[in-house]
Amino acid sequence: MSLKQITLFASVALALCVPGQLSAHHAFGAEFDPNRPLILRGPVTKVEWVNPHAWIHLEITNDDGSKESWAVEGGTPNTLLRRGINKNSLVPGTLIIVDGYQSKDRSNRANGRDITFADGSKIFMGTSGTGAPEDGRDPKER
Amino acid sequence: MRLVCFLTVVLLLGGCTQPEKSKPIPFKTTGDVKHTMQWVLDPAADHIWDSAGSVITAEGVEELAPTTDEGWLAVQHSAVVVAETGNLLLMPSRARDDQDWQEIALGLIDVGMRAAKAAEAKDADALFEVGGQLYRVCVSCHTQYMQGDEKRDPLTE
Repeated sequence: MSLKQITLFASVALALCVPGQLSAHHAFGAEFDPNRPLILRGPVTKVEWVNPHAWIHLEITNDDGSKESWAVEGGTPNTLLRRGINKNSLVPGTLIIVDGYQSKDRSNRANGRDITFADGSKIFMGTSGTGAPEDGRDPKER
Repeated sequence: MRLVCFLTVVLLLGGCTQPEKSKPIPFKTTGDVKHTMQWVLDPAADHIWDSAGSVITAEGVEELAPTTDEGWLAVQHSAVVVAETGNLLLMPSRARDDQDWQEIALGLIDVGMRAAKAAEAKDADALFEVGGQLYRVCVSCHTQYMQGDEKRDPLTE
């Protein structure tokens, strides 16, 4: 076995065997708290346009003027595309309001339900069938 | 001489005879469905998902697709793992039924092989598209066979 093959084998094995790695795919209840609804308002700082969930990062300003970075999980990119959101409509600096639920570990992470833009338009940014609370925001619940 | 020829033919034919009627081939699974998800499917699926898409910041756009042959080969490997997991889920000790479970597991095989083809072709857009399809397969199974979070997972109860 050549050094190149050994390196490739090792990198594949490492990629597949990292212990304790948080899976990108998870049920809502495994990570988010349905009893911790929140509203976040601020400019987009980063968008991770990835499967299985897009992540929107924004910076909020607290009442005392301090700033916090939050990461909000959305649906799949395909789901967002069908609802009218694409990676170009969430360029950094875009002001948004996110309605969602905080993570169980109380970190600055949330599961997004609705996203509202500066022009007042509101879009459901979540995904159906993940175990998220039936709060009436998912059009499939209506 | 004739005897030698005769014995040669007999020996050759003996080597070609059909084995006894096939018995079920034994296998030994190493864990339940949750174990298969955690140690086989999830890492492979995560690798596929992490290998396509974009990260957009004020500084620019970072594409996540592999940039080397080795990187694409590693994704292809993960894709085949995803596909073969469909077969693991069809094994008698893991299969929940021969209806929807079977159909979803076969769907997992198909989507895994599509991901493998996309990786082999080094097609980042196709891999991204297949990543969405892979998630739909996951959700369709979890919607039917899992309820809520892990504590209520009927597969482990």
